[in-house]
Amino acid sequence: MNGERRSAKVVVAGGFGTGKTTFVGAVSEIPPLTTEERLTAAGVGVDDLTGLDEKGTTTVALDFGRITVSPEVVLYLFGTPGQDRFWFVWDELAQGAIGAVVLADTRRLDSSFPAVDYFERRKVPFVVAVNRFFGECRYSADEIRAAMELPPEVPLTFCDARERESARDALVRLVRHALSTVVT
Amino acid sequence: MTDDSWDGGDETEADLVPLYVLVNGRTAPRNTDLDLATQVIALPGAHVRLEPVYRQLVDLCADWISVAEIGAHLHRPLTLTKVMVDVLVEQGVLGLGAPAQDTGDDRDLLLAVLAGLERL
Ligand SMILES: Nc1nc2c(ncn2[C@@H]2O[C@H](COP(=O)(O)OP(=O)(O)OP(=O)(O)O)[C@@H](O)[C@H]2O)c(=O)[nH]1
Ligand SMILES: [Mg+2]
Repeated sequence: MNGERRSAKVVVAGGFGTGKTTFVGAVSEIPPLTTEERLTAAGVGVDDLTGLDEKGTTTVALDFGRITVSPEVVLYLFGTPGQDRFWFVWDELAQGAIGAVVLADTRRLDSSFPAVDYFERRKVPFVVAVNRFFGECRYSADEIRAAMELPPEVPLTFCDARERESARDALVRLVRHALSTVVT
Repeated sequence: MTDDSWDGGDETEADLVPLYVLVNGRTAPRNTDLDLATQVIALPGAHVRLEPVYRQLVDLCADWISVAEIGAHLHRPLTLTKVMVDVLVEQGVLGLGAPAQDTGDDRDLLLAVLAGLERL
C-alpha cells in the first residue's frame, strides 16, 4: 500500500559539538527524540528478539526532530552521531535525503571537513552553516570558504543554532539549493 | 570518480555493521524501501492476535508515525524496529506511506517542504 503520506529527510551534520542537537531541537515541533542503532563486528548475529546481548556491540544514538510541513508531508531532521566513524549510519541517513546542513564552528573548522567530504562524494546537496558561538564571527565568508575548500556552488550561511528562525533560514537555504539541482 | 565506496577516511572500524537480529526467521526487512523516516499506520479491521511486543508497536501507529519514532518510543534499535514493522506490514496489520527515497516527484516534495518551512 502506498498511502498519501510522505516523509522527507534532512541530515544535520558537522563535527563534534558543532551544535547539531541544538539545531534539531530549535526547529523541531516535538522535543528531539533519540533512536539508536546497534552495531557489531561484521558476521556476529543474535538469534531472537530479546536476546540483544550488549557484549561486543556499539550503540550509536541518533537525535532527530520533526516538522509537519503539510497534511501530506512530514520533514525529519536527523543529527549525525558525534563521532564520524559510523559511516554505515551516515549512509542510512543520507539515503533518500533531500540534503544536509553541515554545521561548522570557526574555532575548529577541520572537525566539519569529513562531513563536507562525505556529502560531496555522495552528491547529496548541502549547505554549510557556520554556527555563531560568540555572536560576531571573526572570519569572513570568503575566508571560511577558502579554509574549507568549498566549491562555489555550495551555499555558506551563518546561524545561531539555538534560534528557531535562524535554523529555519538555514533549512530554507538548503531546500532552495536542492531545488536548483533538480533537473526538470 | 574512481572510487564509489566511502572508505571512512583513516578509520579502521569500517567493519561495523548493524547488529543482525533474527525475528520470525528474518534478519533484515524484506522491504528494502523501509527507511527510518518511512511513515507507518495501523490499518483498520486487522485484529489478528499479536504478541505483546507487536501489540505495543501497533498501538503507537494509530496515526501516521515514522519508523524512527517507533524505535525511539519502544527503546528498540532501528534494525530490529524495521524488521518488526516489516513483519506487521506483511500480515496486513500496518500500512506504509510513500518511501522517503521515492524520487519520482522530487520537485513537488521539495516545493512542499519549502512552503512549509517558510510558513514556520
Ligand atoms: N553560544 C552558543 N552555544 C551553542 C550554540 N549552538 C550550540 N551551543 C552549545 O554548544 C554545545 C554543543 O551543542 P550540541 O548541540 O550538543 O552539539 P552537537 O553537535 O550535537 O554535539 P555532539 O552530538 O556531541 O557532536 C551545547 O552546550 C550547546 O548549548 C550557539 O549557536 N551559540
Ligand atoms: Mg549531539
